[in-house]
Amino acid sequence: MTAIIDMRKVTKAYRGVAAVKAVDFTLEQGEIHALLGENGAGKSTLTKIMAGVVEATSGEMLHRGQPARFLTPNEALNAGIAMVFQETSLVPSMTVAQNIYLGEEKFLNRLRGVYIAAQQFLQSLNFNVDPAAPVASLGAAKRQMVEIARAVHHKADVIIFDEPTATLTPEEKRHFFALMKRLQASGVSIIFITHALEEALGHADRITILRDGELVATGKASEFDRAKVVQAMVGRALTQQIYRKRNAAHLRKRGAKVLSVQDISMGNMVRNNSFSIYDGQITGVFGLIGSGRTETFKIISGVYKRDFVRGGDIELDGRPVRYNVPRQAIKDRIAYVTEDRKSEGLFENLSIAENFFSGLVAAGLQESSIVSLREMRSLSEQWSERLKVRAINSRAKAVELSGGNQQKVVIGKGLVQRPRLVIFDEPTRGVDVGAIAEIHQLINDLADEGLAVVVISSYLPEIMNLSDRILVFRQGRVVEEFSPVNATEEKIMYAAVH
Amino acid sequence: MEQRGQGWTQERIVFALAVVLFIVAALGLRGFADPNNLIAIVRSVSVLGILALGMAVVIIGRGIDLSQVSVMAMSGAWYLQMLNDGRPEGMALLTVLAFVVFIGLANGFLVAYGDVPPIFATLASGAVVYGLVRSQFIGSETVPLPPGHWLEALGRMRLVTVPVEVFLFAGASLLIFLFLRYTTWGRYTYLMGDNFQAARTIGIPVRPMNLLRYVISALLAFAAGLLTASNLFSINTRVITSTLLYDIILVVVIGGIGLSGGKGGVRNVVGGALLIGIMLNAMTILDISNIYQNLIKAIILLAAIIIDSLMNPRDEQTAQQGDI
Ligand SMILES: Nc1ncnc2c1ncn2[C@@H]1O[C@H](COP(=O)(O)OP(=O)(O)OP(=O)(O)O)[C@@H](O)[C@H]1O
Ligand SMILES: [Mg+2]
Repeated sequence: MTAIIDMRKVTKAYRGVAAVKAVDFTLEQGEIHALLGENGAGKSTLTKIMAGVVEATSGEMLHRGQPARFLTPNEALNAGIAMVFQETSLVPSMTVAQNIYLGEEKFLNRLRGVYIAAQQFLQSLNFNVDPAAPVASLGAAKRQMVEIARAVHHKADVIIFDEPTATLTPEEKRHFFALMKRLQASGVSIIFITHALEEALGHADRITILRDGELVATGKASEFDRAKVVQAMVGRALTQQIYRKRNAAHLRKRGAKVLSVQDISMGNMVRNNSFSIYDGQITGVFGLIGSGRTETFKIISGVYKRDFVRGGDIELDGRPVRYNVPRQAIKDRIAYVTEDRKSEGLFENLSIAENFFSGLVAAGLQESSIVSLREMRSLSEQWSERLKVRAINSRAKAVELSGGNQQKVVIGKGLVQRPRLVIFDEPTRGVDVGAIAEIHQLINDLADEGLAVVVISSYLPEIMNLSDRILVFRQGRVVEEFSPVNATEEKIMYAAVH
Repeated sequence: MEQRGQGWTQERIVFALAVVLFIVAALGLRGFADPNNLIAIVRSVSVLGILALGMAVVIIGRGIDLSQVSVMAMSGAWYLQMLNDGRPEGMALLTVLAFVVFIGLANGFLVAYGDVPPIFATLASGAVVYGLVRSQFIGSETVPLPPGHWLEALGRMRLVTVPVEVFLFAGASLLIFLFLRYTTWGRYTYLMGDNFQAARTIGIPVRPMNLLRYVISALLAFAAGLLTASNLFSINTRVITSTLLYDIILVVVIGGIGLSGGKGGVRNVVGGALLIGIMLNAMTILDISNIYQNLIKAIILLAAIIIDSLMNPRDEQTAQQGDI
C-alpha cells in the first residue's frame, strides 16, 4: 500500500498557540482511517489542513508523493480531496438538490433533471431526503446526509468525514457505515473523526489518536481496544463507567406534573401528540429522524407554532399556554438547548463571555440594569470552569472553539437562564468521552435539584443511562413509554421503527 | 465589545490610515494643520457622523436604512415649512417628531413583521417619505429657515471657538455608545446581528428590537436635518439625489462595522468619519474638483465593501464555499 496523503511535521498555530504540533500522519490508499482525540485535540484542524480550509504554519504535505499545498477547499476538491465538515456548510436557502450540485453551473436550465438525478443519487446512498426541500427546513441529521451526499457526489478519492455520525440515529449510522465500506471498495480512501470509540474500533482499518495537538498513537485498529484508546486519548485510564445498567432503586420518582401536552399537531411533522413531563426526573426521548421529536419540543419552547385549528392543548402547571415566540417560553422558564449549534445556537463572532451572558440578558436575569462587563466576565469564568470549556485564550470567539467546546457553551447559555424545564436536544453531540460523563453528571444534578429535564438523543446508550422514563416517538407522536429498568435497546428500536 | 488584541483588524488599519493621512497632509499641505482647519474638518463631518451613528445601530443589528437621507431632508423641510406658515414652534416640532417616529416604526414593522428585506423596505419608504412631504406639505424644493429662529443662533454658536455641532456630534456619539455598550437593548443589537435565529431562540425580543433600531435611525436623521438647517439656514431637498447616502455607508463600512452585522461600535463610526473628513479636506485643499472627489469616494466605497466581505466572512468554512 502507498500513502495517498503524507503529512510531515505539520504544525498549525492560532495566534501563536499550536493547535496541531509537528504531526506526522499518513493516509494509505484505500483505507478507512479513524482519527480520535478529546475535544480540542486538533482533529478538525489537522484534517482542515488537508482539505485546504486552513493553511499549515509549518511542515509539508505530500499528495500521491508530490508536495501539495491547497489554498482553498476548491483546489483540494479538484485534487480529489473532499471534506464533510463538523458544522454544516450548506446554503440554507437552496434546495437539497441545488446544494448537492452546487458549483456545477450547467444545471441551470434543467432544474427538473437535477431533482430526478438527485433523487436517484440519494436513494442509491439509502438517504431518505427530499431533493426539493430547502436545506433551511431540514433538521441537523438530514443536513448531515446532504453534506455527505455532496462529498460523495464530487467523486473525490479522499473523503474526510468530521464527526459524520454525531447526529445520526442507529439506523442511519448503519447506512452510513455501509456506504463507507462501498466507497472503500471502489477505491476511496477515508478519514473519519468520531467520539464513539466503538465506531472507530469496529469500522476502521487504522486508528490515529491526537492529544493536545500531538500525535500520540497510530496503528492498525486490531491492535487497539477501548481501554488502550482511552488511555492514549486522555493520558490516563478512565475508570468510571459511563454506561451502567440501571435498576429500579436508581430511578427518580416523578414529581409534580409540569407540562401536559394533549393532541398537539403541526403540519404533518407532529400529529396528535400527547404526553406529560414531570418535575425532578429525566425524561428521555428517542425517535428516528423525522419522528417529530425535535419539532414537538420546539413547539413547547415557542420556536415553532402549532397548528392554529386543532393544534391541541399545552398546559404548564395546569395553565393553558400558547407561545408565539420563544421569549414567552423563556419567561415561563422553559429552556430549549438546540441540536443545531451553528445555525441557532451560537453567536459565533462574539466571545465566549458574550455567549454565556446572552442567555442571562435575554432572560432579564442580570444583576444590574446597566450591562456590567464585570458581571459578564465572572459569569463566563464560572461557567467555563463548570463545563470545562477549553479555548486558546479567554477572549476567544465562539467560532474559534473546537466543536465539543462549542457544544458546552450552547449548554451553558441555556442553563444560565435558570430554567425549571430544560430540554436538551442531543446534548453530547460532538463531545468527547470524558466530557460526556461530565455533561451527564450535570444533567443528573439538575434533575436531583428538582428540575424537569428532557433529553432528546439518537444515541440509545445515552437514553438508557440517563432517563428515568423513556418516550419513543414515531411519525410525529409518542408511541410507547418505557421504564429503563425493563427496556432494552432492541425493544426501544422496535417501537421506534414499527 | 470585548476587545481583541491581536492582528490587523480593520479598525486598526483605518486608524493607522487616518494617522498616516493626517501626517502626510499636515506636512505636505499648507494650511491643513491650522487649528481652524482641523476644527473645520470635524465640523464638516458632524452631520455625516450623526447620520452614520444611526446607520451603525441599524447595521450592527443586521439591516440597513436607505431612507435616512430622505427622512433627514423631508422632516427638516416640513418642520421649516410649518414655521414659515406661522405654526407654533411646539406644534411643528411635535408633529414632525411623531412623523419621524412613525417612519421608523414603519420601517421596523416592514422588516420585523412583514419579512421584507431591509434594503427594499427602506428604499421604498424613503421614496414614499419624499413623495408625500414634497407633494403635500412643502411648497418648494428649498425651504428657508425663518429669520431669528433658534436654529440660526445654534448655527452661529461657538464654545471656545469650536462650533457647537462638533459638541452635538460628540454628544450623540456618547449617547449611542452608552446605548450599545451598557443597555440590554444594546447587547440585544449585537446578538441579533450575529445570529438572528439564535437570538430569537434564546428569548431576545427580536421584533420589537427591529422597531427600536429603525426609530433611533430616523430620530438621528431628523437631528441631522435640524443641524443642516442651522448651518445653511435652509434645507434643500435636492440633497436626496446627492451622494450623501453613499457617504454614510462609506463611513460605516470603512470604520470597520461589517455589513453582515454583529460587529463594531461607536468608535468605528468616529474613526470612519474622521478619516473621510481628513480625506475630503485634503482633496479640497488640493483643489480636486467635486466630480473627481465623488469618483474617488465611490472607488473607496467599492474597495471598502470588497475588503469588508473578505475580512468579515461569516466563517472560514462557509466563506470559502460561496455562502452569501
Ligand atoms: N479559528 C480558530 N482560531 C483560534 N483557535 C482555534 C481556531 N480553530 C480551532 N482553534 C483551537 O484549536 C484547537 C483544536 O481545535 P480543533 O477544532 O481541531 O479540535 P477537535 O479535535 O476537532 O475537537 P472537537 O472534538 O471538539 O471537535 C482548540 O483549542 C481550538 O480552540
Ligand atoms: Mg472538531
